[in-house]
Amino acid sequence: MSGLVIDTERCVGCGRCVKACASAGVELVRREGARPVAQPTGSCIFCGACVDACPVDAIAIEKDAGASEAELASYSGIWVFAQVDDEGRVLPVALELLGRARALADVRGCTLTALLGEGPDAPQDNERALVAAGADEVIVCRDGRLAVRDAEVFAHWVCDLARACRPEAILYGATAFGRELAPGVAVRLQTGLTADCTVLELDGATGLLQQTRPAFGGNLMATIVCPAHRPQMATVRPGVFAAPEPDWSRTGTVRTVSLDAAVAPRVRVLSREAASHGRSIAEAERLVVVGRGIGSKKNLPLARELARALDAEIGCTRPLVESGWLEYAHQVGQTGVSVAPKLLVSLGVSGAIQHLAGIGGAKVHIAVNDDPDAPIFGAATYKVVGDCIEVAEALLDKLGAQR
Amino acid sequence: MVDVLPWTSEFDEYLRDESRSTGDADSISFPRTEGDIRTVMRSLYGATGPDGRPVPVTVQGARTGLAAGAVPAGGHVMNLSRANAYLGLRRDQTGSYLVRVQPGVVLAELRRHLARHTIPCAGWDAASLAALEELYAGPEQFFPTDPTETSACIGGMAACNASGARSYAYGPMRPHVASLRVVLADGDVVALRRGEVFARGRHLTLETEGGRTIELDLPTYTMPATKNASGYFVADDMDPIDLFIGSDGTLGIISELELILSPVPQVSWGINCFFGTEDDAIGFTCAVRPALAHACALEYFDAAALDILRRQRERSTAFSALPALDDAWGCCVYVELACDDEAEALADLARLRDILAACGGSEDATWVGRTDVDRECQRFFRHAVPESVNMLIDERRRTDPTITKLGSDMSVPDDRLRDVVRLYRESLAAAGLESAAWGHIGNNHLHVNVLPRDAADYAAGKRLFQTWARAVTDMGGAVSAEHGVGKLKRDFLAVMYGADHIREMAALKRQLDPYGQLGQGNLFAVDTCEGGA
Amino acid sequence: MHIVVCVKAVPSTTEVKMDPKTNTIVRDGRQAVVNPFDATGLEIALHIKDECAAAGDPCRVTVLSMGIPDTERLLRDCIARGADDGLLLSDRAFAGADTLATTYALSRGIACMDEPADLVVCGKMAVDGDTAQIGPELAGALDVPCVVDVQRLHGIVGSTLALERATDAGRELVEVDLPAVITVAKDAAQLRMPSIAGVLAAEGVPIAVKTAADVDADPARTGLSGSPTQVVRSFVPERASEAVCVTGDAAEQAAALVELIEEACR
Repeated sequence: MSGLVIDTERCVGCGRCVKACASAGVELVRREGARPVAQPTGSCIFCGACVDACPVDAIAIEKDAGASEAELASYSGIWVFAQVDDEGRVLPVALELLGRARALADVRGCTLTALLGEGPDAPQDNERALVAAGADEVIVCRDGRLAVRDAEVFAHWVCDLARACRPEAILYGATAFGRELAPGVAVRLQTGLTADCTVLELDGATGLLQQTRPAFGGNLMATIVCPAHRPQMATVRPGVFAAPEPDWSRTGTVRTVSLDAAVAPRVRVLSREAASHGRSIAEAERLVVVGRGIGSKKNLPLARELARALDAEIGCTRPLVESGWLEYAHQVGQTGVSVAPKLLVSLGVSGAIQHLAGIGGAKVHIAVNDDPDAPIFGAATYKVVGDCIEVAEALLDKLGAQR
Repeated sequence: MVDVLPWTSEFDEYLRDESRSTGDADSISFPRTEGDIRTVMRSLYGATGPDGRPVPVTVQGARTGLAAGAVPAGGHVMNLSRANAYLGLRRDQTGSYLVRVQPGVVLAELRRHLARHTIPCAGWDAASLAALEELYAGPEQFFPTDPTETSACIGGMAACNASGARSYAYGPMRPHVASLRVVLADGDVVALRRGEVFARGRHLTLETEGGRTIELDLPTYTMPATKNASGYFVADDMDPIDLFIGSDGTLGIISELELILSPVPQVSWGINCFFGTEDDAIGFTCAVRPALAHACALEYFDAAALDILRRQRERSTAFSALPALDDAWGCCVYVELACDDEAEALADLARLRDILAACGGSEDATWVGRTDVDRECQRFFRHAVPESVNMLIDERRRTDPTITKLGSDMSVPDDRLRDVVRLYRESLAAAGLESAAWGHIGNNHLHVNVLPRDAADYAAGKRLFQTWARAVTDMGGAVSAEHGVGKLKRDFLAVMYGADHIREMAALKRQLDPYGQLGQGNLFAVDTCEGGA
Repeated sequence: MHIVVCVKAVPSTTEVKMDPKTNTIVRDGRQAVVNPFDATGLEIALHIKDECAAAGDPCRVTVLSMGIPDTERLLRDCIARGADDGLLLSDRAFAGADTLATTYALSRGIACMDEPADLVVCGKMAVDGDTAQIGPELAGALDVPCVVDVQRLHGIVGSTLALERATDAGRELVEVDLPAVITVAKDAAQLRMPSIAGVLAAEGVPIAVKTAADVDADPARTGLSGSPTQVVRSFVPERASEAVCVTGDAAEQAAALVELIEEACR
């Protein structure tokens, strides 16, 4: 039976679970002559808040076992979906994933496979790059139908392969395309999918993938598993993992497969327009990020000037995009872009946890804010407590004087 | 400690306020406490400047006023924006919460602290802290006075008896102030708690904390029975606290206020009702007033205001979030409901539907804002009108810097609403002036804004306002209903009350401020005040 | 034409406060609202309905949600704005659903409607989950094509929809034949406010509330049982070590920063 299970032997009746529950899903009942014990009610939504709150580990959410162990054991290997860009080059996020997956595959002692779907005229060196990044095997399909990124066509391709080869896990970059493709695969294979993971760990013995992602707007990190369904699937934002140094001496096998002739795209692309914004902030080495603390839109030119002086790109927090000060492409954070610059200067950013979720990759982070208790300082390397406009002006002065 | 700082150019912003007029001054201080205010006043009391005249003292808060009340007329500027502490909280016998604050507390901050339960309470006594705990545990409370400019400070709002859209239901600031501490020109203090002392007829006796007794003869005029922020509040047997509220910084310096909080209405809905003609909108307003018990605001936007919004929405991305306006809509009345529950609000909506049908409106040509997102959209719609007009004027000032926006602030009694709107329309048309009107139609209080294209328009607009002041007075109205008189509307005040009554006001001021130092130029010209001590 | 708009009830603010003592989320008791992305989806649907009406074609918009009984309030608000009817899937059996189990429940809800859905509109994602999985999973479950992250509706001719969507590389103008699923970006449209007529009329509209059994849902595929993923641990993210404070006035701070910046970029 699935549900909230409370071990009444362990329960000490402290009531922490009742306090932690936002849905009145657990209550304390008092039995004649005995201490009170917790008991689930009809309104439990299985959020797990009580499980975490329980000091004696008396509460668990239990589920019926799905597939048998033998069934699970028939899956093996980790796959990484290698997305290519319009020029046919493998995206950096695929290499980042291979770097991380290499470590996981070594823990498990299994094969690491890269999936490469591309058009017939694609460059010939992608397979090598994937092997150099850590793949043991590259499964490649060259087909005109894969020359355009149609998520449904790709989903059919990946599903057919997965049904035949039974991988234990498939990882995708959380690009726009990856975020469309992965759920398309998940629903067709009827398996679980965890979006935007920031940490991936693997149990060497069971092959269980521990997928950690921000929950509740990033205030909580949640570790998610997919115990009884295979393949286990996750998407990971670009920039979360470091790309490995390519090892061109590595060798791997390349297997060419074909795409089912019955698969046809159902969405017709009439025209394309390349994104107008400059360099993507996701790949920027230096970044100036502005938040509500800059006060007014009229201070934006100052921030831009500072960015120019630092040869940096400009990013911002969600409220600024919502106020129309900057375009969405500049939004840094959980619902925007994850960034991993060498240098990040944040001006007037308070540090909402959703924002912090997107800047974890910064190497050196200088935060300027007039509130000494601003949460942004908790994520910063250097903190400057002061008026961010004054500091930005002074910094601009100094930078100008240097030249 | 507080310093009187000699003027340097870094203080130049303190020469201006939102009226966009500029004054001059020789020194400035930023007191943080009542003690600081008293120190400064004692040092300046009766002091003379280089011209041999008493040093004027102009008190400022957030400088958001529209009548130049905070613009200095030489002498000293006392800026109270740093006296912004929260001092305590108590509950009165009716259960209302009263929060004690310094004058520099900003309205938006007060609101935020109340909503988020973050009122700074360091150093409060046990009784205040206990009251605060009760406040946070109980139903949410707010301060109802809601001027459009929420960066206004509480002291300034009391000094001009500020209002806002919700004044239709809650009245102006005055009834929401329970007590005041006022520093007089000589540095002495009067403590005023509502309901403790009253005038006898038009004679008032005040005891100061310094032990002085001040005998005051109050002016003899009768105030109009309309929304009014013109000149001193006087009435037979009045509470002296009401005299200081709305006195435009001319009688004393408010150093502490106790504000009465009100419970936030459970259900707050906004309804924009669109009409083809202004006549229908006026008919609707008159029909709604007696029929809707829970309306807390009735606001109007005329055809020109809607057209400005239509243009802005097309032109500027900053305004693209405005909802689209049907071309058939000629004007709009915004109704805000404050109800105890949804059933009550729905019953009011049904009443509105019937009134609309009877007044040439339509239940389809309405927006009902019930969610935060929709209410925010309606707020944006309302604020976009004055903002757009300011942008338009700024654009025109580039070709002719002498022109500014000319905004009226006059109110009339309920039965003269149609008359005053006819007056506005006919005289604007006759003068060939461009205009846009909006504001508090529920109180028969429209802000008619002349949008001058050149200096000639500007001069014609000013003349027009002078004639309106006369006509509105004759209708039993007020020349300034909420912005206060300040320095810009002195002439209107003279029209409204006549020279004799102005002299009575000046005489009253002289009894409290014998050298005429405080708020010089506000309400009446300097010479009206001279001849005192 | 029958358009189904999927809406989710989400907390009215994503600014979640944590209780530092208990490490649990402090809920402020404010009412749930329609996920803003789904609100945009409703506007897109209502826009199509307006166009159909102008062309004299019949069009019906149904709002669909899986949630607690109180969600009925939100569906009624959607009807006040112009949707024709609502279906709320509410049952203990649906509780604890991950995206796959939610997709299944929604697909059962759509399957049990008396008129098949020509177009299913979802928000691109929910502000409280950010997974952006429901739309594409639903398309897979219904076996219809999917267009995600729609920025603009270009038009509808017959049963073909022209849309502008955001991709990794920029924007694309695409065409898709109905039936289809689309997911919309938040800024693709602005949801209209209801009129007095709409609000009053919506009060009388019955909103269907159905259980898992009512929509023939397989208990093994709903709620907690039907969810392949499960949360095994949640924790407050660790803060990195204390930041180094740069002191002094603005000029001194700036001078120190210049050095730090040079070091960082070396």
